[in-house]
Amino acid sequence: MDFSRYRKRSPWILHYNAGSCNGCDIEILAALSPRYDLERFGVLNSGNPKQSDIFLVTGPVTYRSRERLVELYNQMPEPKVVIALGSCTCTGGVFRGMYNVEDGIDRYIPVDVYIPGCAASPELIIDGVVQALDILEKKTKERENAKRLYSEPTTENGITDRSNSAQKIGTGGFSPEEMKPNSPERRENEED
Amino acid sequence: MGRKIIDIPLGSQHISLLEPIKFRFACENEKIVDVSSDVGFVHRGIEKACTTKFAYDAVPYVVARICGLCAITHSLAYTTAAESLLEGVVTRRAKYLRMLLVELDRIHSHMLCLSHTAENAGFEAMFMRIMGDRESVMDIQERITGNRVQFDYVSIGGVNRDITTDIEKEIRKTLAFIREKTHGYLEEFTTNWSLSLKFKGVGVLTLDEAYRYNAIGPLARAAGLATDVRSETDYLPYNEIGYEMRVGEGGDIYSRNIVRLFEILNSITMCENILGGLPEGEIQTKMKGKPTGEALVRLEAPRGELMYYIRGEGKAMLSRVRIKTPTFASIPAFIEVFKGSEYADAPAILASFDPCMSCTAK
Repeated sequence: MDFSRYRKRSPWILHYNAGSCNGCDIEILAALSPRYDLERFGVLNSGNPKQSDIFLVTGPVTYRSRERLVELYNQMPEPKVVIALGSCTCTGGVFRGMYNVEDGIDRYIPVDVYIPGCAASPELIIDGVVQALDILEKKTKERENAKRLYSEPTTENGITDRSNSAQKIGTGGFSPEEMKPNSPERRENEED
Repeated sequence: MGRKIIDIPLGSQHISLLEPIKFRFACENEKIVDVSSDVGFVHRGIEKACTTKFAYDAVPYVVARICGLCAITHSLAYTTAAESLLEGVVTRRAKYLRMLLVELDRIHSHMLCLSHTAENAGFEAMFMRIMGDRESVMDIQERITGNRVQFDYVSIGGVNRDITTDIEKEIRKTLAFIREKTHGYLEEFTTNWSLSLKFKGVGVLTLDEAYRYNAIGPLARAAGLATDVRSETDYLPYNEIGYEMRVGEGGDIYSRNIVRLFEILNSITMCENILGGLPEGEIQTKMKGKPTGEALVRLEAPRGELMYYIRGEGKAMLSRVRIKTPTFASIPAFIEVFKGSEYADAPAILASFDPCMSCTAK
């Protein structure tokens, strides 16, 4: 059964505290509570990385939490979206430069949505999660496209040729002429 | 079948845990026989940064980031210590406003703990109800200070904002609302099967153990140990605003919940008395000079005694800041409670302690 259609309607959140002050963690709980009700988007706060789609990280990544951070990220199935919640998660914030702090999670894992604020208010959290839902849908579609292209290799003289499909993926839809360096078409596209 | 002891880890990332803390339970069947804990996952090095990166007048806003729940207590404890070194006198109005925020903070922190305890009993609806009502406290905090959680309200010399009659009216309305709701919770926590009978006799800390293992805060008061920094110190005029110590009996989860509920009611009364007797005057006094000498301040955070020691040598940078946080002091008592209880109760017992790992690791 294909679950990808329902993924946007019920994304599960994995929340990890990588050294935050608890302020943002409590604002997440507040966002899940009746006043703000993040759960109306189908969001469920789960503690299990293997069932989660959105990785919500708070804290500037302490020396001891970075292994766990990367481990949790790796355990989550694709497609996944990472949200950095709070100023210290985005850049290190007030903790930047302290001896046990790694100045933000984007040194270790790729981040899709940055939410500023110390502490980030529930309104901002909802805004960030809703943006993450769009990114999640986009990532789901990208994966489907890639699968279709790879599953259509051409066969000539008994040799399987994947160059055609690989080219389509690798160039992001540009034709070989456009991909040549300094070609006028490419420059035009980039300026757009 | 022989007696076999199995190690079961809990944390540092776990479904039922908010906090990055790791326990390793040695279990014999379902009984916990031994516990070891590891708390340093969120150590950031704030004590060191307070003496190398930030000048003494910026430190209140840095130490507030140790903990999001008791931020005001942290910055207030530091500020009180720094003011005693600068030999300035804070106006009574500023002191009253500080107390108001500390008590509001205690109310919402205890409500959070109660909602977690309810959630760990499997009573998710109660969790949602308490969290929903807690928002009204957050609202008045936002009205007074401008931010919901990390309100940098206290600064050296006084407070940063004054309250107006509009805000005062709103606070009174909210306090009345919370009082009514708290009486409802009290009924629920004493009569509801999930929250009373299930929690009676679980996670017991006896009076003797509380005394011996240095339990503090609601944990100690639930066991019958009459200890509260608010009644022992005089930085803040708690005796003027109707502070009452509530001591429970039994020392189990049920008793801790009841002590917290009565503390919320007491805090509401205190907040109303503060508004009733708010003195006129300035909210800021100028402090001159640089901190010289050493000072030690104890304050009652929502979780127990918070201690700050600072030493200055007449420079902009302090030479030492030492912070002793409530959860750190209570860990021996935590471990004693876990021994002998069922493994299945461990998350509920842990939630009833209301641990704060961000405080502990700093």
